Amino acid sequence: MTSQNPTETSGKTQWDNLILPSTPNLHKVETYISHGGYEAFKKALEMKPEEVTDEVKKSNLRGRGGACFPTGLKWTFMPKQTTKAKYLCVNGDESEPGTFKDRQIFEFNPHLLIEGTLIACYAMGIPTAYIYIRGEYAKWIKMMELALADAYGKGFVGEKILGKEFSCNIYIHKGAGAYICGEESALMNSIEGERGYPRVKPPFPAQYGLWGCPTTINNVETISNVPIIIKNGWEWYSKIGAPKHPGPILVGVSGHVNKPGVYEMPTGIPILEIIHRWAGGVPGDKGIKAVIPGGSSTMVLRGDQLEGVKMDADSMKAAGSAVGTAGLIVMDEDTDLIKVLTRLAKFYYHESCGQCTPCREGTGWLWKVLKRFEKHEARMQDIDLLMDIANNIEGNTICALGDAAAWPIQAMIRRFRDEFEKRVVHAQAGTPESVAV
Amino acid sequence: MAKITIDGIAYEVDPKLTVIQAARDHGIKIPHFCWHPKLSVAGNCRMCLVEIEKMPKLAIACATQVAEGMVVKTQSERVQKARNAVMEFLLINHPLDCPICDEAGECKLQDYTYKYSIGYSRFNEDKVHKPKRIQLGPNVMLDVERCIMCSRCVRFADEIAKQPVLTFTQRGDHVVLTTFPGTQLDNPYSMNVIELCPVGALTGTDFRFKARVWEMSSTESTCTGCARGCNINIWVRNNEILRLTPRQNEEVNSAWMCDFGRLQTFKDVNSEKRLSGPLMRKEGILSSVGWDEAIAAAASELRLFKKSEIAGLGSAYASNEDNYAFQKFMKDVLGTKNVDFVRHLKEGDEDAFLLRADKTANTRGAEEVGVKPGEGGSNIDAIIQGIKNGSIKALYALEDDIAAIPEIAGVLSNLELLIVHSSIQNETTAAADIVFSSSTYAEKHGTLTNFQGRVQRIRPAVVTLEQDRALDGFAMSRWDKFASHNDRWGRPIKKDARPSWRIVSAVASAVGGKMKFNSADDVFREISEKVQAFKGLNYQKIGNTGVMSKTASRAVPVV
Ligand SMILES: Cc1cc2nc3c(=O)[nH]c(=O)nc-3n(C[C@H](O)[C@H](O)[C@H](O)COP(=O)(O)O)c2cc1C
Ligand code: SF4
Ligand code: SF4
Ligand code: SF4
Repeated sequence: MTSQNPTETSGKTQWDNLILPSTPNLHKVETYISHGGYEAFKKALEMKPEEVTDEVKKSNLRGRGGACFPTGLKWTFMPKQTTKAKYLCVNGDESEPGTFKDRQIFEFNPHLLIEGTLIACYAMGIPTAYIYIRGEYAKWIKMMELALADAYGKGFVGEKILGKEFSCNIYIHKGAGAYICGEESALMNSIEGERGYPRVKPPFPAQYGLWGCPTTINNVETISNVPIIIKNGWEWYSKIGAPKHPGPILVGVSGHVNKPGVYEMPTGIPILEIIHRWAGGVPGDKGIKAVIPGGSSTMVLRGDQLEGVKMDADSMKAAGSAVGTAGLIVMDEDTDLIKVLTRLAKFYYHESCGQCTPCREGTGWLWKVLKRFEKHEARMQDIDLLMDIANNIEGNTICALGDAAAWPIQAMIRRFRDEFEKRVVHAQAGTPESVAV
Repeated sequence: MAKITIDGIAYEVDPKLTVIQAARDHGIKIPHFCWHPKLSVAGNCRMCLVEIEKMPKLAIACATQVAEGMVVKTQSERVQKARNAVMEFLLINHPLDCPICDEAGECKLQDYTYKYSIGYSRFNEDKVHKPKRIQLGPNVMLDVERCIMCSRCVRFADEIAKQPVLTFTQRGDHVVLTTFPGTQLDNPYSMNVIELCPVGALTGTDFRFKARVWEMSSTESTCTGCARGCNINIWVRNNEILRLTPRQNEEVNSAWMCDFGRLQTFKDVNSEKRLSGPLMRKEGILSSVGWDEAIAAAASELRLFKKSEIAGLGSAYASNEDNYAFQKFMKDVLGTKNVDFVRHLKEGDEDAFLLRADKTANTRGAEEVGVKPGEGGSNIDAIIQGIKNGSIKALYALEDDIAAIPEIAGVLSNLELLIVHSSIQNETTAAADIVFSSSTYAEKHGTLTNFQGRVQRIRPAVVTLEQDRALDGFAMSRWDKFASHNDRWGRPIKKDARPSWRIVSAVASAVGGKMKFNSADDVFREISEKVQAFKGLNYQKIGNTGVMSKTASRAVPVV
């Protein structure tokens, strides 16, 4: 799955990848430099830190880690005057089902990420950054380590970089296989060597983060956008894609499509176009029953609901879902949605850290009830029970994993109630209706 | 100060407080499991969710700081629904083995189930099963199925006991509380996690399955394990002490006590070696006699000696009342100046938290009420010397196994008369001529002065032939009538023991002195008149948490 330029974009302007250009060997530091790499960093070093932050703020870059939070604004939360250490955590835990985009950056453009990390650290006056990568990404951890060693070798990272006052060290931290460690505060606990438990907020990381010090957490893709903004200026950047959620976005398409993979495109491309034009359409030209647009936590959309829905924050919100991590999961008309949902529920059950009551107990309960639906052993009132359990988790937990476990259930029941009703035990017949698998 | 509104009523509160603290200060109880005033905030149980105007989501009261103008609702429909939900979640995988659970009757989960749960279960699945009967350390047992993962015990071990050995492993509803490999929960304060635990997950190896909570009565008292004097409750069923639990006193022990005090201090009360009634040596053998005979004999024997030939040892284990009456008897009635008591310091056996090197409860009190040599009289060393050289021939010793101390054991055979008060058989009673069976701290009214100078109460929790239970402390038990006059069912064993102040008063009267005390209260009244340190104090003022004696220095280390 390499990045690829779409060839059949139906008259649309050809999109030149910014994050994942097709330049061969771009992961090598020499290639990266010869293609203008680290120039943005050098440019930033000539600016005042506040000017860099301002540039990012004006660009309207929004986080690619799931919540679309304005990145520049987040950076301004970092205290300017503090006697404490400051940290940047770059979140590459990438464990949300349907999400596999940061991996492409690790593999094909690691120096873009390192350069972005350096610029972010410079903007916020941070001397230390951690790039947190999920443990299962053993191959990509190695690649990042090699790239980082090269960047050190070239003098872009370390003490008194390029003869300036600015010093910055970057460390690569391996996760140990827990989805929850992608949640920013669990991630910090994990780096500290503690159990991956999310923290109660407030205090927020900018006040009390890693080892109690001011900390900013950004997604890998978010940070990789930064050199592009600095290099080309905020005005240029903010004109890419949807105005309120601009920039290039990596869309990971999986499920029932002919060409699954990660596609870089401007924000705001219609979902149907992504499926049909970029990802080659549905095998066998089948109809689309459902789409999960932004990673497993986002609310499922009905296939007949997709017209005009675009891959940007506002459009997705209006459609009743979210961009999330832009991990698009396509399900054709023959998909057993109960089976899909049961599998997703199992994932959240498995990954709940077990700290707070509603998520710890509720995720297992949801899965067990869904198992009964899967086996045609559920009762009609179990549909409302599922909804109720999900509602009782949502909003009542320490971290958003609880919400993430609840949303798919809520959306699936709301949008596909008939699928559940079909799986209920029929009192008279005693035999379940046959369901295509 | 911040102005806030809780359930429609305006309050002015310290802006540093959290909502749960501010509410509590004003008598509004917000239900909670994981929050504890002595521990850091964990925010995991979600039971304290409240509605705060202008906040889109419910907020946990334990982690939300109050702010000017904040409007809090603790009873709204949304809040109640959230509580119902949390209760339902907590119960789905709970074993619900209340009928065999030690916690039943004092269980937060049980209590809240009545108060905040919908009353039936919608859970039709198999429960998660987890390890049971895990020995976390010598004194604490864990049933993981009952654990609600509130982390109170973990935080106690980390933050208070400073022995960070507890942790969770696994995830989701498979989370298991455990000790780190190669460690166990064996700090001197380990058993405090038992009360901290809101459910029956942590139980005491010692007390497990001994009694249902409601079968016991509890009496407020003071631990006698060391000079700290931790405030405690004594739990009794059928006249037998089954457990001690710490009672909160910010000035003394916060909310804790040590395992030694909890496990060891009541063993003597229940001991097989308890004496019941006085003993006298007849033809070389200690034999049971009546009180009148023993008292008369003690008086006539004592009269045979010159004042200077008599010495008296009070006791740091005995109460202020006992020691006061004793020294008064010695000095005013018998006229001896040879009065002192034995110190029991175990240097190095103290810590920076509760434990004191002084292993007795009342060293300071004994000194203050006058258990010290009169002018020109002998102190403990001189008394031992006197016994050795024959100048002291008669010794009257209160509630202390002095014969267990080698220097004293070696000289006791020189004595012509040894009178002893003791509640159990020991080396001292074995050497004595007359033994009075004295009441333990759990069988009498009285006061102890801790190392800080704090005067604290002890009360009868166990009945003797002579003394009823303390009625003022009547607590929760429907079996409270046990061992009382109107108890027609229980057949408790009542010991024939009397408080030392009563015994010495009787001996004093028999000698011809004037000591008319009818109650511990009487003795204390005289102490408060005669002894500077106690001026103006009375039992009522001392109450349940004690007061500082007048000689106490202002700087009191608070835990
Ligand atoms: C359960 C859970 C898992 C998460 N996993 C990730 C992840 O793998 N990568 C990521 O960037 N953000 C993840 N997040 C979001 C982070 O908490 C955080 O919002 C994000 O890293 C911020 O980056 P951004 O502002 O650049 O989007 C997760 C959040 C939750 C609640
Ligand atoms: S919501 Fe779930 S994952 Fe998040 S803290 Fe609570 S139990 Fe852990
Ligand atoms: S912990 Fe409480 S609710 Fe659980 S079994 Fe024991 S008494 Fe019952
Ligand atoms: S054992 Fe008790 S105190 Fe410890 S976490 Fe479990 S419920 Fe809480």
